[in-house]
Amino acid sequence: MIRLTDDIIIRTVARILIPFIQLYALYVIMHSHHSPGGGFQGGVILGASFILYLVTHGLEEAKTRMSEMKAGIFSSLGVLIYSGIGLLCLILGSNYLDYGKLSAVLRVIPAQARSLGILGVEIGVGIAVMAVMFSVFFDIATGGELKEDQE
Amino acid sequence: MTTFFIYLGMGLFTLVLLCLYRGTLGPGVLNRIAGICAIGTKTLIILLLMGFIYNRVEMFVDISMVYALLNFIGTITAAKYLEMKGEV
Amino acid sequence: MNIYQAASIPFLLGGFFFFVAATVGLLRFPDFFCRLHATGKGDTLAVLLSLIGLSIYEGFSLTSLKILFIAVFMFLAQPTSTHAISRAAMRCGLEPWVREGRE
Repeated sequence: MIRLTDDIIIRTVARILIPFIQLYALYVIMHSHHSPGGGFQGGVILGASFILYLVTHGLEEAKTRMSEMKAGIFSSLGVLIYSGIGLLCLILGSNYLDYGKLSAVLRVIPAQARSLGILGVEIGVGIAVMAVMFSVFFDIATGGELKEDQE
Repeated sequence: MTTFFIYLGMGLFTLVLLCLYRGTLGPGVLNRIAGICAIGTKTLIILLLMGFIYNRVEMFVDISMVYALLNFIGTITAAKYLEMKGEV
Repeated sequence: MNIYQAASIPFLLGGFFFFVAATVGLLRFPDFFCRLHATGKGDTLAVLLSLIGLSIYEGFSLTSLKILFIAVFMFLAQPTSTHAISRAAMRCGLEPWVREGRE
């Protein structure tokens, strides 16, 4: 049971740095065309920021910010975005994840539709990776036990 | 100037090998954590120097920023776990 | 070699000197808390000087601003992680080292 750190230095510095870590993770996801990065790397950094919050502020307070139910919903949402874009391309009459056909829906030229399709897929992957990382660390931290009122 | 960076990188790599002595043979776990934190700090500078040697700085700056983040988070998590466990 | 490259050499050499000092301290000090002194302070100053030197070498562009961001982050984060390790050592009951014959 990770309890609250009764040390004010680590808590304050973590509170200052966590929003900037999340902003950097968003930069890594969005800038994947021109610099190393992408969905998986940005998702790992985003999950690491939540793990830092859990380690420094304790288990109870991290549960109020992101409970296990929310982590499950986020991971399913990420997979839904990813496969939803693929199925949309399939419905519009082409192969799975063939982004060129999206230009009929978005009303842009096919090259720009491919760029936007890849960006949407990376966002979905990032959300799913973040949720799974937090969920795995949460299960290891609690030892797999639940309290009486949670089921 | 490139040869100056190469010599600096080789010197830093020798320091990393010297720090590995404390990382493997430190008596107790806490000495090893301190050694690994020092190795991570030196690796950050070696990565940036490599970016300057290969003339692709924009790529290596993002990578070294991520490495600084993960070094910090890993050290705090390892120290917290050992405090919970209660032995050196 | 223009003025920016010549101005960055003393910063890089100073950073390398403090790295050597911190490593020698990590290997040779007799106690765990003394080694934490060496690596916590020496490594932070060395990284700061090296990053400022590399930022001056690059000139005035977006990349040098990103390197300064890394420097500010290391200035905040490295002393905090040293504090976390030393606090864990105090909680585990590690005693500081005293020289023989003193109390």
